[in-house]
Amino acid sequence: MLRRLMQALLLLLPLAAWSDGPAVSASHVWIRQPPPGISVLAGYLTLQNLTGKPLELKSVTSPEFNAVEMHRSFVKDDVEQMEQVPSVSIPAHGSVEFKPGSYHLMLMQPKKDLFPGDIVTLDLGFSDGSELTIMAPVRHDPPAH
Amino acid sequence: MKFKNMLPYAGLLLLAVAGGLLAGYLTFHSRHPDRPVTAALLLHDAKPLPDFNLMDTAGGTFNKTRLTGHWNLLYFGYTHCPDACPTTLAALDNFSGLTAKLPKRLKPQVYFISVDPQRDSLSLLKNYALYFNPDFTGATGSLDALRALTGPLGVEFSYGKPDAKGDYAVDHTSFVVLVDPQGEEVALFSPPLEPERMSADYLAILKFYGEPL
Repeated sequence: MLRRLMQALLLLLPLAAWSDGPAVSASHVWIRQPPPGISVLAGYLTLQNLTGKPLELKSVTSPEFNAVEMHRSFVKDDVEQMEQVPSVSIPAHGSVEFKPGSYHLMLMQPKKDLFPGDIVTLDLGFSDGSELTIMAPVRHDPPAH
Repeated sequence: MKFKNMLPYAGLLLLAVAGGLLAGYLTFHSRHPDRPVTAALLLHDAKPLPDFNLMDTAGGTFNKTRLTGHWNLLYFGYTHCPDACPTTLAALDNFSGLTAKLPKRLKPQVYFISVDPQRDSLSLLKNYALYFNPDFTGATGSLDALRALTGPLGVEFSYGKPDAKGDYAVDHTSFVVLVDPQGEEVALFSPPLEPERMSADYLAILKFYGEPL
């Protein structure tokens, strides 16, 4: 009887998840291993908006770092520049790429030394109030696409 | 003089200008018959580097003499740069792999020149450069010493406002400078650097400069 009940509950689980609906999915997540003596790391990922409404990534935190900010690199008149951005928008049913030379997460003051293969937790907060926790591997090189 | 009378003169002037342009074009092309088409910006004429005097992480003076006798790539940045500098240095590491089999003179020496001497000590710079490639060399110096090199090269840098923790970003020129074995600026590579494209361009430039390949 109990087993039956459990099975029924298990069957319902995906439905429950579906009704809440994850608003955003993440892929191509990686964090660049810091060169020796450096305590500022860049994090990269692609965010896909699964809803029909535009969303904004409003906050990023990580228990492994003292501070995380969103930044954008850009080249203007042959000069490499970087600016902090308060949020990044993701169009409805669209995606945004955090990648070298563009948007990136700036992860500051890691609480311990990080090496390739280590996993960092990133907590993302969106404009609709939803949250997404992702596991980001530390890598020497970008993942192959 | 009436306007009507001036017309023949205007015609002559136009002819002279057109002739001058044609002559210039022909002279240029006869001098550079095999000028390669590159993604890199190949300077019309190699431009001698100014005299400069920095320190490098190989433990010596970094001046024009250090750049002679072999090809070189100079990249200006800073170590507290999370995105642009590691991306460029990783691409230069891949590029170095593609050109590793060239003879010593033609294998470009890569120099990472920090424009943030306040934070980038030589020891920090050394570990940083070596992290990307054991053959890379770091260099820096006082602001005045840096400007003696960056000014004539057209390389710019400026410092952002420090945050509460005293961290600041440094805006810096994005291109990588190619310097020939005579210490002359030859070409500029702009990001995003694609190692394969860069190495094809580099070989084309070597050939154009009459290097044996």
